[in-house]
Amino acid sequence: MEEKKSVLKAGASLLRDYLVLVMIAFLVLITAIIEPKFLSGSNLVNIMRQFGPLVMVSLGMTFVIIGGFIDLSVAGTINLVAVVTISLIQPMGQLPALLIGLALGIVCGALNSILILSSGALTQAEALFLTFGMSTVYSAIALLYSHGSTMHFWDISASKSIFESIGSGNIGFFSVSFVIFLVLLAILWVFQSKTAEGRAICLTGGNKTAARLSGIQVSRSIIEIYVIGGFMAAVGAIVLFSRITTAAPVIGAGYETSAILAVVVGGTTLKGGKGSVLRTVMGVLLVVLMSNCLDLLGVSSYMQYAVKGAILMFAIWLDNRKQA
Amino acid sequence: MSKSGILTSIYKALTKQKAFIALIIMMIGMLFSKTNFYSAYNLLDMLNSTSILLILAFGVTFTIISGGCDLSIGGNLVVAGILAIKLLDVMPIWLAILIAVLFGAVVGFINGFLVVQQKTEPFIITLGMGLLLTGVAQQLTDAHPLPAKNPNFMMISNGDFHGIPNLVIIMLVCFGISYWIMRYTQFGRNLYAIGGDYEVARYSGINVIRTKWIGFVLSGVAAALAGVLLSSKLNTGSPVYGETTALVVNCGVVVGGTSFAGGIGGIPQSGLGLLVFGMLDNVMNMLEITSYYQVLLKGAAIVAIIWMDCFANKRKREAV
Repeated sequence: MEEKKSVLKAGASLLRDYLVLVMIAFLVLITAIIEPKFLSGSNLVNIMRQFGPLVMVSLGMTFVIIGGFIDLSVAGTINLVAVVTISLIQPMGQLPALLIGLALGIVCGALNSILILSSGALTQAEALFLTFGMSTVYSAIALLYSHGSTMHFWDISASKSIFESIGSGNIGFFSVSFVIFLVLLAILWVFQSKTAEGRAICLTGGNKTAARLSGIQVSRSIIEIYVIGGFMAAVGAIVLFSRITTAAPVIGAGYETSAILAVVVGGTTLKGGKGSVLRTVMGVLLVVLMSNCLDLLGVSSYMQYAVKGAILMFAIWLDNRKQA
Repeated sequence: MSKSGILTSIYKALTKQKAFIALIIMMIGMLFSKTNFYSAYNLLDMLNSTSILLILAFGVTFTIISGGCDLSIGGNLVVAGILAIKLLDVMPIWLAILIAVLFGAVVGFINGFLVVQQKTEPFIITLGMGLLLTGVAQQLTDAHPLPAKNPNFMMISNGDFHGIPNLVIIMLVCFGISYWIMRYTQFGRNLYAIGGDYEVARYSGINVIRTKWIGFVLSGVAAALAGVLLSSKLNTGSPVYGETTALVVNCGVVVGGTSFAGGIGGIPQSGLGLLVFGMLDNVMNMLEITSYYQVLLKGAAIVAIIWMDCFANKRKREAV
């Protein structure tokens, strides 16, 4: 009897740990039965392309959340990086534009971390409101820089082959953006789980006082997580505007909540200290698959917002039960 | 008390009340501008247009004082407003408003269940609730503004009583009620105690869960009421006042001196904090600053103020 119970318990905890995978499988199955178009080649390519920008942003967000903070400024960072990068292709050439875009992301992230360090913010709430303010600031700079107008690829006469291949090129079966994702994922995974720095970030998120007392430089970890967050948001911005070939100064709206959703659904706890980039990839896959399925099933994009909110609340609630 | 003693106490009170300093700086600055900022019409108009934000802030203060936070008010506001306008077609005004406000209470109840009873972190979960409600609002209206058909409904917010706009009167009534609850009832004092130290409050016999829960319900009610008033003011239900409203109102409450740490602040402070944002908007319009710069200045103000709040918290921690 007792044995049976413990088996059940183990089964339940296993299910809870791999809930995301189960949900993905379930979702794919249901949609494939109802709408056979789902498994067609063009739809799979479509999913792979939708996957690109969100997964980049979410990977960065993972580090911020593991470190015990939150970053709402990614939407602003994406807006700013997108309009600045696309506007520099013409005067400076594509490679400098790309590099400046990425550097801008790092600067935005570093600015966030400087604000948080200098004010001594320790809690997620304080970081949430500081980064929300910074998001507004970055978005406003993007609006001022672009005069509120949308910039298009076809207005650029200079060579833009890098961006075009990021947006629509293929290497073998995979799209270029997917290959970039794989490379970055490998680097970030090694950084997170195999280096002392990565572990220091985990410890900082778990308990800042304990981390400081055991000789970890907490402030250094905080700078690292926000710089990674900003850099990945910049990569996401470049992948995003390359795919849709235009950059409006509001291009990043909603990415912050989607990224938080993906990270939490993947199983990284909002309390900090635990989680992994691989889990986030699963979370992103679920979010992207879900919106693709809902699209195919004819659910309006407005209702998809509501579904996202509901899933976010459910995931946090579940995570909370797990930690308790 | 000697003269310098009084001066230092005034200085202390001023540095504690950042919102007050910000208001005074703006008012002094406007003395030198050649605008009609100081006309009675403009000042009343400013109060009128800040009223809805103020009502939101009074509600949110109940959750922040007890150590929580409510970021779902933006979504709650728009859904309640749209609901009221939709229901107007089939029922009398008072019933439509009542149902919309009850809807807000239900949203607050669910928030309270998740945050207080299930003990989740309030920030992201109420953000999720806001996202959900914004989606519902867009679905209800197909993302288009929805005009109201009953002309009497419009008069609620746009009418006036001997020259004082109705909105300002309603806001003052809300202020009075929430101030009374916060200051003179056992419930209000219990909220302070819970925000100050949750465990101590629990051990001293306060029903912490119920008290905090009711705080969330009150926040939901205030948000729904604000939504109805906004719909009445614009005579349309529109889903565009979503997430940023929630974040701005919560920031405004903190600006007034109600800390996210809980247990500090009050209804008048929250009112002052939101007035800073209201006056900032008014001043920027008066000076004809372009809208992009307005966004920039507002963002910078939020960052600066939250930064100061965090810094003050840090100093307090180190002093202990």
